[in-house]
Amino acid sequence: MSTDARVLPPARPAPRGILRSLLLTLPILIWSLVMFFHPGANTKLLSRIAAAITVLFMTALFFMMMRTRNTYRWRRIFFVSLGVFFPVGFIYNLILMRGSMGIPIEEMIAGRTPFCFMPIPMLILPAALTRTLIFPGSIGSSNHGIAAMVALWLALTLVMGKGWCSYACFFGGIEEGVAAIPQRARIRKIDPRWRYIPWAVLLSMVLLSLALFEPAYCMWLCPFKAVTEYVAARNALGLVQNVIFILLFAGLVIVLPFLTKKRTQCSFFCPFGAFQSIFNKISIFEMKIDMERCKPCLVCQNACPNVSLSKESIARGETLLSCMKCGACVDACPRHAVVWHIKGTEIAWKPERARLMFLYAAWAMAVMFGGSIIAQGIATILHFIG
Amino acid sequence: MKLRAFLGYTAATATVFVALLTPFLLMGVFTKGFAALPVHVDEVYSGGPRVRTIQMGTHSIDVHRPVYPHMLQNEKPFVELDWRPVSALPQRVSDAVDIDGDGLPDIRISFDVPRDPKAPLRVDVESLNPHYESMRNAGKEKYSRLIVRVDDAILVRVPLASH
Repeated sequence: MSTDARVLPPARPAPRGILRSLLLTLPILIWSLVMFFHPGANTKLLSRIAAAITVLFMTALFFMMMRTRNTYRWRRIFFVSLGVFFPVGFIYNLILMRGSMGIPIEEMIAGRTPFCFMPIPMLILPAALTRTLIFPGSIGSSNHGIAAMVALWLALTLVMGKGWCSYACFFGGIEEGVAAIPQRARIRKIDPRWRYIPWAVLLSMVLLSLALFEPAYCMWLCPFKAVTEYVAARNALGLVQNVIFILLFAGLVIVLPFLTKKRTQCSFFCPFGAFQSIFNKISIFEMKIDMERCKPCLVCQNACPNVSLSKESIARGETLLSCMKCGACVDACPRHAVVWHIKGTEIAWKPERARLMFLYAAWAMAVMFGGSIIAQGIATILHFIG
Repeated sequence: MKLRAFLGYTAATATVFVALLTPFLLMGVFTKGFAALPVHVDEVYSGGPRVRTIQMGTHSIDVHRPVYPHMLQNEKPFVELDWRPVSALPQRVSDAVDIDGDGLPDIRISFDVPRDPKAPLRVDVESLNPHYESMRNAGKEKYSRLIVRVDDAILVRVPLASH
């Protein structure tokens, strides 16, 4: 035990009182109401109902985070909902607009391809060297424009760093949901060297995109094309691309998460995730391990859905650069040695304060971005029911 | 240590404010900032800037600046011509077009204009100038060799001959 005079947090914090939890949740309720019912918000009845459901949903989850002091479990409910509702609303809109999930060449020429965040790292080098954006969209300030998505990404990244992958990515929820299904992992031993693959994919995709002048990952490797939109197959090559998308989706997003209980696409493939890891360096929030409490029993390492803890990193009292700040390790640690931390402060000194500050920022962004996607998905379902 | 902790909490508080300001201020600032950057969408997609318009009676033809693909891009150099408005086009278009503006026709382009906006289009291009390639019954196989309808215009992209 430590001879340090500081006061250590209790080994097992009790649940917060209901009144105190409600008070802590109040700002998020007000924020959600402002986000969904501000003047100028959609006034259609179905959209209003969907917005009300979303406000209740997001507020209830935050309340449970406050009450139970558990983050991962409640965040996961939001995140899986995001992963499920995004394709629902998005595909419905595509079918409504163009009758298909395939993007015809006319839409690409017209600059009407919705821009997702995935190609952002691939745009940087061509834009810097030739002032050209290698994406068939429009720069304009519309919701689906490149400028709007880059702005959103920048704001969320400033706030969360790689927390983007746990609170904003509308793809990761699908595999997190699949990984939650089995009771136990069938594959438990994963070679740690697989962690380097996303960096290799990122580097090769960035260079290939510069050489071919097209977002190579979107054209060839993105598993989520299978549940969003894809280049309409005009020839045999297009058919091959679509088969690759489906196989990668089936393998990395369905089968492997089921077998490993890990987010395998995020951990071992996603180039955007690797790119986003860099921004953990500038993020003020991080996870730390209080070595005075740590045994180490490696429960946190097993709980991490992103393979962001290793024996070496635990010995150093920190997570790896790829940490998504999902909170799984904090909640799993039986000795409460893993804590939320603000850089510059003493480790394990008021970790709940660090958690609250991160959660207010992250959840505000989650309500604004993910919440609107969930509301759109709910509105789509209500449209079909009613 | 106290100074570092103070700076840490200050940065954390600032982060919360960034989150709160995002929908009201920062999104707009960042979006406008990005849109103001001197970057443009790849001309292989956009077709390049329009350089002049040829009036053809009831309709007009916009001539774009030739587009030259980059490095390993799997496209040929091409020039885009836009016929508009579609409602003013005859059932069959057969126009000789002076692309380079030297007073002489460079290509003759022929295509049918179906009333159904979703009907597939095919185009024949007869080269009258060796700088341009001929095309027979072309559809929309490649960005540099196609005919498509976009809103109220029919776009034809004619590959430049390689010399």
